Amino acid sequence: MSAARRARRPGSGHVPSVEHLVARTLLAGGLLGIALILAGGALYAVHGGFHHHTLYLNRPPGGSPPGVFTSVRQVLDGLRRRPLDPLAVTALGLVGLMATPIVAVALAIPAFLRAGDRRYAAIAAIVLAMLVVSLTVAGGIH
Amino acid sequence: MSLVVFSIAVLFTSIGAGVVGAILGLGGGILLIPILTLFYGVDIHYAMGASIISVIATSSGAAAAYLRTGLSNLRVGLFLVMATISGAMLGAFLAGVVPVRALELILGLALSYSAFTIIRQLQDELPERLPEDPLAIRFGLEGRYYDFHLEREVDYRARRVGFGLTAMFGAGLLSGMLGIGSGAFKVLAMDYLMRLPMKVSTATSNFMIGLTASASAGIYFSRGDINALIVAPVAMGVLAGAYLGSILMARMRNTTVRKLFLPIVVYLAISMILRGLGIHLL
Repeated sequence: MSAARRARRPGSGHVPSVEHLVARTLLAGGLLGIALILAGGALYAVHGGFHHHTLYLNRPPGGSPPGVFTSVRQVLDGLRRRPLDPLAVTALGLVGLMATPIVAVALAIPAFLRAGDRRYAAIAAIVLAMLVVSLTVAGGIH
Repeated sequence: MSLVVFSIAVLFTSIGAGVVGAILGLGGGILLIPILTLFYGVDIHYAMGASIISVIATSSGAAAAYLRTGLSNLRVGLFLVMATISGAMLGAFLAGVVPVRALELILGLALSYSAFTIIRQLQDELPERLPEDPLAIRFGLEGRYYDFHLEREVDYRARRVGFGLTAMFGAGLLSGMLGIGSGAFKVLAMDYLMRLPMKVSTATSNFMIGLTASASAGIYFSRGDINALIVAPVAMGVLAGAYLGSILMARMRNTTVRKLFLPIVVYLAISMILRGLGIHLL
């Protein structure tokens, strides 16, 4: 448990490595997600999307309005389409953002092991398993 | 409303929500959902989809900064989130079986009591010392952060871990059954029951809500509640706001954070009691 006791002065470089890794993963995932969201938005603007579509603030009965994807497969189809669906790029960013915390926990497991903290490697593995179960049982990202 | 105007307006609103969410350890949904639905006329389902993304964006913008400075405690977060997720899974399973209104009423009363405990400890900068809990020592539920306001390092260790775990399980259970965010309950459990410094409580809650939100985001996604055109400005604004909020919070007093937290608890208490009585504010 010595890792948790180590000094954490700002900028002193003594931040325990597991925390650092999780922090970096969260930030990188967030920024990558935002970059894709921006890129999708920019493409959408270039293609005149902002002028052509009305924004559906309410869910239209039957069918999805532009910007709504209900599975990863749909997002990938949108990315493969020619011309490319710019909103699929944005949706990919959102999926990346959604997956980021789960990826961070997954990466924490080997990091805890390397730090010699088997107990917390096990706890992180339990948390990861629970997240995956609730995601799949809930019928989440296909 | 034109899409450009909508996007810009929502972007700025979301920056505000991100700042508040990062400081208070909430996802920002408590602010975003009413604003998006009442002010911008967004469908409640899209607003909830935007809110779940905003929780993850808050976590990713703020928790990253908090984990670096030691304000967010990774071990405490992972340890407690096991209880929250188990509670949420059971809650989702029990939803529809239990009498919701009675639950809301009980929760409202419990929150009212919490509001009083917050008022009572409003002036306490750091928590009073309670007897050590062997569980906290065994699981390393402790840490140290540099407090910019006190200008010294603060060591802390969790107390009453059993109570904390039970409360986290309850928070997950309620959020699963009632479909509400549990950030506020997590903060209350860490601050009041486990006697962690207020700033550590909100920062650690920030990390935890990201985990639970990412597990439930899938269901919103597959239901078609996540509209990229609405969510994109929300995600960008919240991420930027959360980063800004994390810088502000590091410099705040614990008592200031608690004062800001009080109105949220009072609002939640009132809205839950009203819901229990059959009156929905939203």
